[in-house]
Amino acid sequence: MARAHDAHGTLRALAKYGEAILEAHLRNGNRVPDSDDNLGLIETLEHHRLVWRIGDNEDLQLKKVLVQFLDHITESERRRYANAQVDILWQQLSELFLEYKEAKKRSALSDIDRLEGEIKECLADVIEDIRNATEAFATYINTGFAYITDLQLRIRENERVIERAGRLITLFESFRIRELAEQAGSDAFLKRLLLRHLPATLESSQKNLSYALNQLRKMLVRMREDQRLSRMVGAFEAHFINNRGFEPSIDHLDLRYVPEFLNTVEPFQIKGFGDIYDSADDLELIEIAAKARTIPVEIDDKPVPDGVATVNFDVEGETEVEEDDPVEEAIEELIQLVVDGALGERSILASEALASTGLEIDKADWLQAIVSEIESLSDGDQQYIEVIYHQMPHRVYPDNVMISDLTLRYSNAG
Amino acid sequence: MSSPLFERTVTALLQERVICEVSDDELYNYLLMPANQDSVNRFLAQINRTLRQTSAHDAFVCAYLDTSDSDTKDAIRHQFRDVANNLEAFVQFLRLVMMLEANDRPILPGDKLSEGAILDRIAAAPALESKLRSLAEKKVFHTKRADSAGQIRAVLSSLEKMGYLKSVGTSGSLFRATGRWSWLYDAMTFIQTHEGIQGSDDTDSEQMRLH
Repeated sequence: MARAHDAHGTLRALAKYGEAILEAHLRNGNRVPDSDDNLGLIETLEHHRLVWRIGDNEDLQLKKVLVQFLDHITESERRRYANAQVDILWQQLSELFLEYKEAKKRSALSDIDRLEGEIKECLADVIEDIRNATEAFATYINTGFAYITDLQLRIRENERVIERAGRLITLFESFRIRELAEQAGSDAFLKRLLLRHLPATLESSQKNLSYALNQLRKMLVRMREDQRLSRMVGAFEAHFINNRGFEPSIDHLDLRYVPEFLNTVEPFQIKGFGDIYDSADDLELIEIAAKARTIPVEIDDKPVPDGVATVNFDVEGETEVEEDDPVEEAIEELIQLVVDGALGERSILASEALASTGLEIDKADWLQAIVSEIESLSDGDQQYIEVIYHQMPHRVYPDNVMISDLTLRYSNAG
Repeated sequence: MSSPLFERTVTALLQERVICEVSDDELYNYLLMPANQDSVNRFLAQINRTLRQTSAHDAFVCAYLDTSDSDTKDAIRHQFRDVANNLEAFVQFLRLVMMLEANDRPILPGDKLSEGAILDRIAAAPALESKLRSLAEKKVFHTKRADSAGQIRAVLSSLEKMGYLKSVGTSGSLFRATGRWSWLYDAMTFIQTHEGIQGSDDTDSEQMRLH
C-alpha cells in the first residue's frame, strides 16, 4: 500500500508542477534553475527522487527516467530521430508496395485489401514524421541552443544539427514518389496520399528545412566568431597578467601600409561663420545674436524685503551718539591753540605735534588732515593761522612739490 | 541643396564617431543605402577621407584615404595610443561582464547592460567585487567611490562618454553596447597578431568555467 501511496504522490507532484517540469524539459535542457522561485518544485522533485545534481552551486537536472517519460509524452524523442524514422518508414513503404504489386499480380484480393490499409497507415506516418522532423529544427533555431552554456559544446551541437538537416534533405531528394504512385493502382485514396499530400508535405518541409539550414549556418558562424572573440579576450587577459605594464605600440612601424582598423581619423570640426553679408539671414542672425550673451544675466537670489508704507524722519527724542575721533580731536585742539594765539610768537611743527599726541597715524595722512581742517575753518579764524609748507620739487616731475612737514603759527595779520 | 541627413552623417563621421544601429540608427540606416554611401564617399574623398565598415559589418567609421603624409601617420599613431593606453582596462571590463553574465561571449553591439543587474550579481559573488575594485582603479575608469554601486556607475558612465555604451530609457541605469566594440575587437585582433599574443584554448575554457 505504501508503494502505491508513494506512486500516487509522485503522479500528483508531476501534475502540480507539470508546467515548470515541461519548461525545464523543452526549453532548459532538462535543468531546473536553483532559484528561490523554484524552491517548492525542487523540494518536491528531490523528495520523489526525480532530480540530481553534482555540486551545491549547480542547477538540478531531471533524472533520466523522467526525461524518457517526458520524451515519450512530448514526442521529442520521435522528432529528434525523425529523419531515421522517416528513412525506416520509407523503406517499409517501398517493401509494402513491392508486396502490394505481387499480391495484385496474384490477384490475392484479401492481401490487396490488407496491404492497401498498411500502405495508407505507413504513408500517413511518413507524412507526420516529415513534419515532425522539420519542426524540430525550428525549435533549435528559436532556442539558439541557449540551454547549452559552454560555447564549444554549443558549436558541436549546432554542427550536429546541421549535419542532420543535410541528411534529411538528401533523404527527401531520394524519394521517388512518381514511381510509387504508378504502383498505387486504382485506389483513389492512396493516389491522393501519394500524389497530393506527400508531395505537398515534402515541398513545404524542404522549404522549411532550407531556411532552417541557412539560419543554423548563420548561427554557427556567429558562434565561431563569439568563440574567437572570447578566446582573444582570454589571451589578452593572460598576457596582461604575465607581462605587467604591457602596452602595445606601433611607434616602430613606418606605416607604409596602414592596416584597415588602424586607419581612423582624428576629430575634424566643420565650422563656418554666420553669413552676415547676406541680408536674407538678418532676422535669424539677430535672433541668434540676441541669445548669444556669453555673460549670464545675474539672478539676484537675495530675498527682496517688503516695501514699507511710510518712513519717519527726525523721530522726536531719538539721538545717535557719534564716536569721538582722537585724530580729529587732536587736530582741532592744535588749531585752536594756534588760532587763540596761545603760542605767542612761537611756531609749531606738525610732525612734532603728532609725536606728542602718541597717535599711530601715517604722517602724510596727519598733514593732509591738518590742511583739510584749516581749510574748513571760517575765513575769520583762517586769517589767524599761518601755514608754512616744507616742500621740495619732485625729482622727475619738478612741477610737483613734495610736502614733508608743516609749520603752524599765529598770524598777526588777523 | 543641402541634405540634413547627409550633413549630419558626414559631420558625425568626421568627429570620429562610430555610426551603428544603436548609437545613431537614423544615420546608420542612411548609410546602409549604397547610393548614400557613394555620395558620402565622394565628399570624403575630397578631404582625403573614406568610409569604412567594421569587419563585423555592424558599424561605419571614417578613415584616411592616403596615409603617406607624415601628419596623417602621426594622427594614426595618436589614435592607436588611445586604444593601447586603455586596453588592459577594457579587457578587464569585458572579462568581468562575461563572468557576471555566465556567458562565453564578450559584449557585442546591441547587448543590454543593466546597472542594477550587474550590482545584484556582484553582490551574489563577492569574488567579483575585487575585480570591480581593480577595474575602478584603472585610469580610464578611475573613481574615488569605495562602494560597488558607485564603482559600477563610474565604469558605465566612462564607457558611455567614450561612446561604447548608449543610455536607453529615462532611468540612466540601462545601457546598450554600440558598434564601437566591433571596432575595438578589430583593433584587438590586429594587436594580437602584431604582438604575437597566443591564447591557450584549454586555459581559456578552464578560466571561463571558474565563475
